[in-house]
Amino acid sequence: MSEHPARDSGIWLRLMLIAFVANGIGPFGLKILTEEGLADRYQAQYLVFWYLGAFVFAIAAFLRRTFPLYRREIWLGALMGTCSLLGQAFTGMALSHGVPGHVAFPITTGGSLFLVASAGLVLFRERVGAYGLAGLALGIMALVALSLG
Amino acid sequence: MSGHVYMLLGLLSFGMLGILHKVADVKGSRPSAINALLASSSLLFVFLFVIVGTPAGLAVPPKVAWIALPFGVAASLAILAFQAGVKHGPIATSWLAINLSAGIPTVASILIYDEPVGVGKALALVLIPVSMFLLWKDKKQQEARDRAAVAQAVMDRAHE
Repeated sequence: MSEHPARDSGIWLRLMLIAFVANGIGPFGLKILTEEGLADRYQAQYLVFWYLGAFVFAIAAFLRRTFPLYRREIWLGALMGTCSLLGQAFTGMALSHGVPGHVAFPITTGGSLFLVASAGLVLFRERVGAYGLAGLALGIMALVALSLG
Repeated sequence: MSGHVYMLLGLLSFGMLGILHKVADVKGSRPSAINALLASSSLLFVFLFVIVGTPAGLAVPPKVAWIALPFGVAASLAILAFQAGVKHGPIATSWLAINLSAGIPTVASILIYDEPVGVGKALALVLIPVSMFLLWKDKKQQEARDRAAVAQAVMDRAHE
């Protein structure tokens, strides 16, 4: 497993900026729901419609070209959906079992970042230079600081 | 199970999700297919949970749906762009870049709802752009090194 041959930092930056902004906007609906006084009663239902919006967009993007689904994509996509939901569910259960938010959020966020970065460097033999390592350290610190408020 | 075990399981689930994004890229999976299947499976699980586990089911004020739909679209766009971007950069730094987006709802909450800015939030909002800049700088440097190595290899071959 090695580096991808056709990498381009310009494309990477553009796509990451889109992902950064869109991923930042995504959870903000829950804040609006809370401010409207609806989050206590309808949070689970909100998630159904939230995922419905995601599903409609994803299907539209997928059907722009007609091609078959490959088996590896089916199991990987399903596994990723399961991991996403389990991550949220387990974090919610940790909070409801008495772990304070200022402990749960920094540890799950910072810890998962550390795990993925380690996997990238060790399993996938990715090269990250001094700037990248400094960026990783500052990024993890930023997310921990954000979780602590 | 204690809360700390759940917290550890949450950490492992989110970490596994990041690693699977990279596995999907290594296996040559198409970003649009991964995004569609991720959204489908998540929708199915949440739908079943709400139908089976909540007494109200899907009977909600229309406002709830209208708030949720566009933000779900944004999240889906994020996954699509992210999965496409992983082809062009390491997962180690890409995963950080998408997670740093947690700063955006924080800024929006401060600007729209006048949320107070504590020391932690202020520090994070300064560190996030610095971190993003360093990740981009690293990517540029890596690319320059790769180009130099290719040029050297071509010159070595020409001299042989």
